[in-house]
Amino acid sequence: MSGFSRRSFLHASGLAFLALAVRRLAALGRPRPVDDVPWKVQQVLKQLFGDRQVQDGHVQLDVPTVAADGRVVPVMIESDLPMATDRYVKAVHLLVDNNPDIHLAEFRLTPQIGQAFVSTRIKMRMTSPVRAVIETSDGALWGAAADVRVTVNGCG
Amino acid sequence: MALDLGAARILVPTGIRRGDVIDVRALVEHPMATGLFRDAAGNPIPAYFINDVSVTYGEQEAAHFVWSSGISRDPFVEFSLRADREAELKFIWKDNRGGVFTQTADIKFVT
Repeated sequence: MSGFSRRSFLHASGLAFLALAVRRLAALGRPRPVDDVPWKVQQVLKQLFGDRQVQDGHVQLDVPTVAADGRVVPVMIESDLPMATDRYVKAVHLLVDNNPDIHLAEFRLTPQIGQAFVSTRIKMRMTSPVRAVIETSDGALWGAAADVRVTVNGCG
Repeated sequence: MALDLGAARILVPTGIRRGDVIDVRALVEHPMATGLFRDAAGNPIPAYFINDVSVTYGEQEAAHFVWSSGISRDPFVEFSLRADREAELKFIWKDNRGGVFTQTADIKFVT
């Protein structure tokens, strides 16, 4: 009997297909690398932070994969960075690439806010990456981004 | 939908102990018009949104938010707060037409 039977081939191809499908599903709403930034967003980042680079990590951005209504998209930003009196998260910035106003909001925090966590609801014009950038008191920048598919325009 | 402009609610948990990190939720009723929509007659609806939110805990400012019209209608925000003293938590929302809306909540510890 040959080592490569019809049955084993079918098994193998089935598994391969499944693996691909799972990867496709996992890729949706998956965080995307922060360095993949369009020019218009780079300009906004430059205006906000100058030449400081945004690093990947320390930020957890929770957004829906598909937002049925672009007028109300829940966003949650969380970080494991400390909120001590000497080292804390100074600001949380929220940017949406394809919105008329890319820099959507800034949340300035103090050590009184015991944990770096902000949640709100935003409007989105169309399918777009959503970015969260966290600025610490010592000037470091940490970011995360995720794609949100929007079916109904919420910006006009 | 009827809009009660400036009506605001703050939700803080009950049974707070000293030093707890609590969740604070706040909502204010506001149209948050972007200025990009038109009404049924085709006239543009002018921009009208809250762009500045200040949260003070006792005497000190604990957080300050700078918003654009990209925040949804009836803006809602949730964040944490280290409750280390009994004091008043005060929200001041300001919109781009000079409107000011305030609401307070008392942070009280269980004995």
